[in-house]
Amino acid sequence: MERYLSVGSNFLRRQYLPHLLITLLLCIMSGFFVSFQNLSPEQAAKVMEMFVIFTGILLFTPLFMPEQNREIWLLEKSKQTSLWQLYLVRILEALVLLAVIVTVFIGVLSLGNSEFEAGKLWLGSFAEILFLGAVGFFVSGITNQVVLGYMVSVLYFVGNIGGSKYFGKLALFQMMKGDFTFMPWMMAGAVILLAAGIVIREKMNQ
Amino acid sequence: MFGTLFIKECKQILRSLVYYIYVIVLILFLTSQMSGDSVNDLQKPKKGLDYYGMTVSTDKTDIMERTLADLLQEVYQNSFSTYPMGFYKQVILNDAELDEIKEIIEDCSGKDWDTLEKEMLEYYEAADQSTIEGAMQAMMEDRIEVKKDISYDTFCEKMERVCKIIGKGSSYEKKRLDYGVDVPSTYEKALEEYNGIVEKDRVTGAYMRLFCDYAGIILAVLPIFLGVTRGLRDKRSQVAQVIYARNAGAGVIQGSRYLANVCMAFLPVLIISFVLQMPWQYQAQTLGVKADVLAFLKYDVIWLLPEIMIVLAVAFFITELTENVISIFVQVVWAVVSLFSVAGLVGGFGLKLVTRWNELGGSALYEQQKSQLYCNRGFYFVLSLVLVVLTCLVYEKKRKEGESVYGKIFKRRK
Repeated sequence: MERYLSVGSNFLRRQYLPHLLITLLLCIMSGFFVSFQNLSPEQAAKVMEMFVIFTGILLFTPLFMPEQNREIWLLEKSKQTSLWQLYLVRILEALVLLAVIVTVFIGVLSLGNSEFEAGKLWLGSFAEILFLGAVGFFVSGITNQVVLGYMVSVLYFVGNIGGSKYFGKLALFQMMKGDFTFMPWMMAGAVILLAAGIVIREKMNQ
Repeated sequence: MFGTLFIKECKQILRSLVYYIYVIVLILFLTSQMSGDSVNDLQKPKKGLDYYGMTVSTDKTDIMERTLADLLQEVYQNSFSTYPMGFYKQVILNDAELDEIKEIIEDCSGKDWDTLEKEMLEYYEAADQSTIEGAMQAMMEDRIEVKKDISYDTFCEKMERVCKIIGKGSSYEKKRLDYGVDVPSTYEKALEEYNGIVEKDRVTGAYMRLFCDYAGIILAVLPIFLGVTRGLRDKRSQVAQVIYARNAGAGVIQGSRYLANVCMAFLPVLIISFVLQMPWQYQAQTLGVKADVLAFLKYDVIWLLPEIMIVLAVAFFITELTENVISIFVQVVWAVVSLFSVAGLVGGFGLKLVTRWNELGGSALYEQQKSQLYCNRGFYFVLSLVLVVLTCLVYEKKRKEGESVYGKIFKRRK
């Protein structure tokens, strides 16, 4: 356990910190871009789907960054702790942070006299944000290029603005229309992308 | 040396997956956006039509009457559009705040709220909104008469109170009101507009302005990925030290890389604009006009090239300095702020990165504002060169000291 805590804290301090600071900056500046007062369920969902969603890209896409360097990857490979365990610790860190962010935003919306079902919105937001983050994670993992991860996840978001009908059950912005049926699909999609990202990446690196 | 490195760099870009995604997204975005403007729509206007499009009016009565109608709509829906930091923000008010704005509307119009609401509902029920043009026309013709004893200044003061209730960045701020309101155009104005497109722009010029409008939006973001990929390539391939030891100066290395990226990013823009311009050349011929065949080149070089240059220069500089992907966030924020901070979608260039001209035509207005555009693009051209020089200095510093600026910062933390 101690080993995993050390792995997590080292990653947090040495690699993840700049990304967390940008995520924090985005959250702090939210008041300039979105209103939290007197919102209807659809409007509250819009805040989560059009703004908070970016935290998913920021939290999950850079998780493979240290291993972009082949020497670091080889060094880590030679250690007792498997690489998948290392990645899992990072994913858990990102999941906890995402849960905190979603909870804070739902709390702020509730305090702002907005009307919505908190539990439902929390779950829907978590699934959707995690899914978009997992897209970035997967692409950066299999291509070994974090830039491509950002690019594809941003384009997935932009593509959904005009063409969400082409994405089927994995389309974004469904909560704004009052539809929450996407949740299990996106949750499953996110888990598959996160697992596939690790497996394919390691197979390709062999 | 420079030429060899330049060609090598171009070949490397051609092997990059990021570049192909850049090209595909550019093609998809531009063709989808530009497909809405049919070449057959460009016809000499005929007399006696119901709808001739829209035009901006700065007449004070027009501004007051149209603004009041828009405010009534927003109060009715309890949804107010604001742009406090350049970004869109929807504001929802509570009952007390809504009542206060309703009082202001009643005060300006001299009618009570129920009457105004009833009149508005009847008006929209009677209007033909089955087509986009119909809905647009209904919206532009929606007016609320303002009491005779209310001057424009008094009206603006009342709107200031509305702004205080809604918050910063609403459409009721004085500078936005002074910009004018959209009103239906007339036959004479439509004819004047057509003549401008045919005589001054020689058809293709007007179309290329619209092309630059859309291309400018996507080019404010897309090249950043090319720049960041290039900036991080040495680090990823672990060849930074090998290149440091070479004879070539920082100017030659960074200059050739920058120039290659600019050329490769600009090349697909040139090709797409040339291809999209062709149907308009033929349309000009059918209208008996000698089209400006080189319009695509002129507009691309003046309007879009400096934008690509500055976006890439920012990417090169920040990535060289930090050896991180942080410039992606900087550039995305800059692009979005620039995109949403405009009062109108036509002209008013200032020093905005994304310069808009979302209109097919507007030749007279463009002639007036052309010098503003040249200043804007000239500024970014010079700024990008300054950033490239700074990138070379950072590179040279790292080369001499054998480690990264970013690494040094983190070393102190140990």
